[in-house]
Amino acid sequence: MTESLLAVRGLGKHFVSGNETVPVIGKLSFTLGQGQSLALTGRSGSGKSTLLNLLCGLERPDAGTIVICGEVFEAGGTAALRTAKAWSALRRQRIGVVFQEANLMPALSLLENVRFRARLAGRDPAKSEDWLTRLDIGDLAQRYPDEVSGGQRQRAALAMAFAMEPALILADEPTGSLDRHTSDDVTRVLFDLQARYGCGLILATHDAELAAGCQQHLDLGHSGAV
Amino acid sequence: MRALLSLSTFFFLPRALLSHYRRHPLQLVALGSMIVLATMLWTGVSHLTSQARASLDQSEQAVAERQQVVRSDGRALAVEDFVTLRLAGLCVMPWLEVTPDTGSRIVGIDPLAAHCFSVGAGASQALDQPLDGNPFVDIYSAASMSARESRLYLLTPEATQASDLPPAYRLKTFSTSPDTGELGDSFLLNLEALGVLVLLITALLLRSVYLLGLAQRRDSFALLHRFGVSPGRVQGWLVLEILVLALLCVVPGVWLGRWLAAGLGSGFGQALDGLFDIPLYAGQGQGWLVPVLVMLAVVVIACLGDLLLLRFRERFTLARPTLAAMATTLLVAGLVLAWLSPALLWVFVAVALVFAGAGWLTPAAVAHLAHWRAARSRDPLAQWRFRELAVLVRRLTLPLVALQFALAMVLAVQALVTTFEDTFDRWLAQRLEAAYYIEVPAGADGRKAAEWLTSQQAKVPGLQWHRVIRGQAQLEAQGNAGSQQVDVFTVAPVGSLIRAWNLLDTADEPWGALASGEGAMINEQLARRQRLDVGDSLYLTLGDQAQVVPVLGVYPDYGRPVGEVLLNAEFLPDDFNIRFESFSVTPGEFGIAPVTDALVEIWGVDALTFRDNSSIRELATGVFDQTFALTRAMTLLTLILAASALLMMGWVFFSTRVWYFRLLVVWGMQQREVAGQLLRLALMLTGGVAVLALPLGIWLTWVLVHRINPLAFGWSLPMAVYPIFWVELAILSLVIGVSIAALMRRQLGKPAIAPASASALNGGER
Repeated sequence: MTESLLAVRGLGKHFVSGNETVPVIGKLSFTLGQGQSLALTGRSGSGKSTLLNLLCGLERPDAGTIVICGEVFEAGGTAALRTAKAWSALRRQRIGVVFQEANLMPALSLLENVRFRARLAGRDPAKSEDWLTRLDIGDLAQRYPDEVSGGQRQRAALAMAFAMEPALILADEPTGSLDRHTSDDVTRVLFDLQARYGCGLILATHDAELAAGCQQHLDLGHSGAV
Repeated sequence: MRALLSLSTFFFLPRALLSHYRRHPLQLVALGSMIVLATMLWTGVSHLTSQARASLDQSEQAVAERQQVVRSDGRALAVEDFVTLRLAGLCVMPWLEVTPDTGSRIVGIDPLAAHCFSVGAGASQALDQPLDGNPFVDIYSAASMSARESRLYLLTPEATQASDLPPAYRLKTFSTSPDTGELGDSFLLNLEALGVLVLLITALLLRSVYLLGLAQRRDSFALLHRFGVSPGRVQGWLVLEILVLALLCVVPGVWLGRWLAAGLGSGFGQALDGLFDIPLYAGQGQGWLVPVLVMLAVVVIACLGDLLLLRFRERFTLARPTLAAMATTLLVAGLVLAWLSPALLWVFVAVALVFAGAGWLTPAAVAHLAHWRAARSRDPLAQWRFRELAVLVRRLTLPLVALQFALAMVLAVQALVTTFEDTFDRWLAQRLEAAYYIEVPAGADGRKAAEWLTSQQAKVPGLQWHRVIRGQAQLEAQGNAGSQQVDVFTVAPVGSLIRAWNLLDTADEPWGALASGEGAMINEQLARRQRLDVGDSLYLTLGDQAQVVPVLGVYPDYGRPVGEVLLNAEFLPDDFNIRFESFSVTPGEFGIAPVTDALVEIWGVDALTFRDNSSIRELATGVFDQTFALTRAMTLLTLILAASALLMMGWVFFSTRVWYFRLLVVWGMQQREVAGQLLRLALMLTGGVAVLALPLGIWLTWVLVHRINPLAFGWSLPMAVYPIFWVELAILSLVIGVSIAALMRRQLGKPAIAPASASALNGGER
């Protein structure tokens, strides 16, 4: 058994819509070891994105505990400010987040985006160009996001995520807006890098083939309950 | 059924187009408010301008040059002279000019006597004025008025020859007031320029708000196009939409503008009266049709100009370096023209060129500078801020340029008004150096009073005085065949009350030379109009005596267009026609009561008309404040409008980028830190505008003070800058920046969705 990178116990989240309380995540528990990958599947609205937001501290749970990179976060537990600071520090240095699209600052070139992310994480920005080369977009380093294709933008987003040398990558349908061929291409790169650098990966996806590439599988069904 | 179906098909398009405003009602409100405010501001200025033009035209018409009959012995005309001339069979019309105790000049005319003018060409029309007190009344009413000054003229048709006159009379050109034609036009041109500037700024704001909405609707247009709706049909509906909106908003805007003009009219009327001795006739402004049509055209052009001229634009699209070169050329040409132009109209053209050049160059220059700074910045956040700044400047070009123009205009107008206020105050203090001003009653001998005051001077410590005699003279300028009437202002003795006057240009020991009758001084208006300098000779006819006197100095004389010559009263010829006489007295330890008691006794009158000069000064300052109320109000309203527009546009635009700002939170920055970055970004944006408005504002101040003012009004002001205004406007800009950042901080707290527009999907705007 590998050392636990992430442990989720009894996690719950609901939203309030008018007078109605809508449960999104209900009593969810799972663990993820160092360097392991987990596929999150489920229908639209099943809570995949909400779970990823909870796992990186962009949203607060209503119940349960998250233990991540040795830090413990309990719902309603620690003072809000300290919790926010701790989550910010984790996102800055340990957790990389990749969305389906718009992961890059539009006013910065691909290289500047990678450097920016590396510097925020306190990593050496000099390696940024290498990262772009490793992702086969080294020749596009000076281009701006609107000057490259969707697949190339997602490669740049992955370069940014890996340039911060993360412990965990949270990817929210990273190939959702790409065609099959490009999607396969980006997925292959993602898994290769994850395996090579040994970071954890949680991948939210609709794509069964993509999910099959992960070591673990968590289906949120249509209600968020496992 | 089929008809119903086709009707609903016909209306589906406008419903689809208008659905944007159902989703963004505030945008519609903002657009409507912008049209209303733009219309209000422009109509206000334009209504006042047309009122002033009507007043000036009427006055010009009334005092158009005619001929009059005067006595050969130079004495004032009386009713007996009218009788004598009528009995001699001549057509003469009495023209009784009265200055009431309170209020403006009134002219009494006799409509019956004016009949004989109908034989001559055009003159009767000039006299065909309404007798409503503006300024004409029936001569009977004028004669029964309590007046501080009145003078009778007898006008005669051009057909009357000198040989027709009885022996004791001669013909003379009639002109009761200075020629205000050119000055009046300049004054109106100034107002119109202000109106155009206001219109330009508001049109820029309007365009920016509309284009923002249009950008958000672009995806809907693309969808409609895919559904088979032709772009021409969409454009047609857009034109109709903006026309309907404009019509709905322009009408209340015009009404508000007229209301604004009525509110500011009293101060403006006093300005007109003070500058040109012409009252503002209420109710003669422009009608409704012209402003409504003009504003409709402005709204359609500002909003849809490039859409309608798309083909033209495509054919003539210029590369960015060509545009920059063009803008630089405009700027340089404007600067040179403003420096060298001899005519007011060209100075305004120069201002337009400089504003156009600056408006084009500023955003491009700031964006370029921001990119340059970003490329040299080692701090990733600073690099990001500069890159974002470049995007913001490009996307918010129109409201930023509008704010820059408004700030520059406010800076310049405030500096002009304050300079004028300071200079006017100092000038008034010099002019009203004496504590009291005492009028010499009609028929009284001023010389006796002067003798008594001279006898008291050695006995009473602190007693200072001089006698003032006013009249008119004919001035024949050097090398100029024609002659013109100028005011004559004489004082004696030339003592301490006058020697403190500031002089714009002076010979050696000018006051000593004036005291010994060795020359004259002239006001700035006369010096500029006749191109006279110190040392030049004045060819003056005082009474019947011709004199040649050198110019000893030029003194400032604000607020009126008339040329004036200052002489020592002791050297006036005996036959000089005294139009007005007074004493300026500072009684010292004496107190004013013994002085007035003595003068009452000397002149044998029951009471004296005398005024405390401090009250006159207070009154004059009050009139001055009113004079600039219009300019101040217009510039401040425009600034508020521009500031609100930038705030709104800034917020809307920042909101479209909230996803990217939230990326910073996702990447591990705390919300507080991101808010701090946004604050710095917003402050860089608005602070930059203030900094860029500064040189434009200082240059505009120089143009107003040194170019427009002398060309328009005949007098110049010293160039002064007021850093306190810079600080005030910088604070205002920073407040706008802080407000945008505060609104954005609220946005950051809410969940953001990924950008959905086609351009944003490609990586967002940059």
